[in-house]
Amino acid sequence: MLSRCAAHPRNDLHDVASFATAFESWLATDPDSVRDATAPIVSFADRVAAMSRLMETLYTEGWSRYGWPEELGGLGGDVLHRAAMWEALARRGVRGMALFEHLEILAPTLVAMGPHEFVARALPEFLRGRERWAQGFSEPDVGSDLASVRTRAVEVDDGYLVTGRKLWTSWARYATWCLVLARTGTLESRHRGLTAFVVDLRADGVHVDAIDQANGTDELAEVTFDDVHVPVTRVVGEVDGGWRVAMHILSHERGTFAWFRHCFLYRRVVENLAHGCVTDDRALGGALLDLAAVTAASADALHTHVATGSLGPRAAFTKLLLSTAEQSTYDWILATDADTAAGMQDDEIALQRQEYVFSRIVTVYGGSQQMQLETIAKQILRLP
Amino acid sequence: MTATFEHAHDEFYAAAVRAFRSSTAADALDALDWWHLLTELNDPERRAAVFAVFRAQGRVLSSSIALGALMARPYVEVSGRAVEPLVATLVRDSRRRGAVDVVVGNATGSRLLVDRPGSGAMILDPEDVELRPVDIPGRLELHEVDIRVARWHASIGENEARRARRWSALVGRTALALEILGAAEGALALALEHATARQQFGKPIASFQAVRHLLAWAACDCAALGRTAAQTVALGRDAPVRFDEITKALAGRNGRRTCERTLQVLGAIGFTAEHAHHHFHARVLTLDSLLGTSADLMADLGGWLRELGGDPQIPLTLLLQDSRR
Repeated sequence: MLSRCAAHPRNDLHDVASFATAFESWLATDPDSVRDATAPIVSFADRVAAMSRLMETLYTEGWSRYGWPEELGGLGGDVLHRAAMWEALARRGVRGMALFEHLEILAPTLVAMGPHEFVARALPEFLRGRERWAQGFSEPDVGSDLASVRTRAVEVDDGYLVTGRKLWTSWARYATWCLVLARTGTLESRHRGLTAFVVDLRADGVHVDAIDQANGTDELAEVTFDDVHVPVTRVVGEVDGGWRVAMHILSHERGTFAWFRHCFLYRRVVENLAHGCVTDDRALGGALLDLAAVTAASADALHTHVATGSLGPRAAFTKLLLSTAEQSTYDWILATDADTAAGMQDDEIALQRQEYVFSRIVTVYGGSQQMQLETIAKQILRLP
Repeated sequence: MTATFEHAHDEFYAAAVRAFRSSTAADALDALDWWHLLTELNDPERRAAVFAVFRAQGRVLSSSIALGALMARPYVEVSGRAVEPLVATLVRDSRRRGAVDVVVGNATGSRLLVDRPGSGAMILDPEDVELRPVDIPGRLELHEVDIRVARWHASIGENEARRARRWSALVGRTALALEILGAAEGALALALEHATARQQFGKPIASFQAVRHLLAWAACDCAALGRTAAQTVALGRDAPVRFDEITKALAGRNGRRTCERTLQVLGAIGFTAEHAHHHFHARVLTLDSLLGTSADLMADLGGWLRELGGDPQIPLTLLLQDSRR
């Protein structure tokens, strides 16, 4: 009966607490797509497939449309609706967001900066799991120094031709669209000469090479663009305003996103406790402190986002705290469950091992730990 | 936690720092109308002001009986006994001497509240106790309490005391966490000042990445503690079980780490008696030892969760209630 909320949005669900209660009631009916997403799925491709089915259901039932503007296919509300929905899914045992993490990293910027007409069509397809997104920032010679991006976008009559190589492009193999940061000015113009484009990864001239990772997944890819045509209607923000777009995205990846990810870390703690564990109580206590700090800092980021729409350099704190919490959680898991290190033919263990290895790289992606520290030193502590 | 609400907190905190800097702790508490605020702990804004005073005390290394007065307040509320000011003692576990009663600040002349779980709480007149000062750095007045009554007499019965105990410990640990935050921020301020003034190799040491990262980690530890403590204050009685212990353990761990990193930045000058760093560091260490050290609390929290299971995550909906109240 709750599926009616899709066709007939219920005003009372604009209150986040009522929304959370109604969503919990729906989860209690044990929907198939939710149950499927709680299974330990080792193959990333299979995980994406299960999550896409779950996203389709959440969209059809209306739940995932809360938290997004009505004019863009949502049902109104704000990021707190999304935070409550993913928290409940995590509590229910859903393992993670797979590549729908980009809903909380890229989509808030697309909503804030457009292009409006395109986003109104693309956001619902993203929400229902039919179209997926990748983020094309890093390049073979450009990691932390994002202002040195070399991928070029040359203006032509009806848009731009994009040429260049992107590396460590998350989820490109599975994505329809890629948000590409490209140079529209000279190399010397650094961050002032960048523009953000939405590039169709199915277009002529796009080549995606998946990268087999150390943890056994292939989320990352190298993407080559060879004179790929991008219509002018797919410029995000302003031409030469790509830096602002990138900073908006990164502030979400470092700030509000921590709420979503840390919900899943709490689940790993709860599940491991339920399985019984050897004592390393101080390590567990330490992980609890780190997780509590993420709860406080990311809840603050959610509130700040609702109140002001932007997060600023303080998102660097949240990012550091999240990566610390992720590592201390998996330190404890490794200490308490030796099968994680030994490995065995068991999907649960294989996935746990995959996640443990991934937790060693969380200080690299989304802006390295050293870049976060530098942001704090420069922009918050105002050191010379 | 709206922007305006935060702003009001910052303003009160700044006023408290000014008050403690310019007068005695007792006068500062009066000037801030703290004793009146203390009677309105259930109001979230007043509660935030009550706790901001502890951060200010840590920041300027002031010392008062505020902690004991705050911890006594729940007992006053449940018993209806109008004893003001009443100052609660704390019990510290000594490996050498067992349980030791201590009181923070100069409680000479105040009536003291001693709680003995299982036997209720007793209110002691000044002549019933001897206060022996503990000589520690950190400009913290700390006294061990010798009780000189022949027979234990529960002024507040066990049933009432039990109702007050959890809230008392919660406000006590939260206040200690905030005072540790203030002291850690004081140590950080000294290191920031030093790093921009001190030149080596012809430039300020703050321009070296190794130093910048030490300071950034220290700022991150303070930010984590600040956010968590603010959340605990905002939740008040709605704070989930043992959340005060999480906050206090985080404070002890992060506070100590901040002092260690800032000492490294300061170098040898920070290890001298004339430099103020050791006062902040000492205060953090002493406050960490009260109501459970971070080391003990971390192990206890881990053991508690392992034995009882359950879900330690605070739901977003609880945090929303707190911010929209």
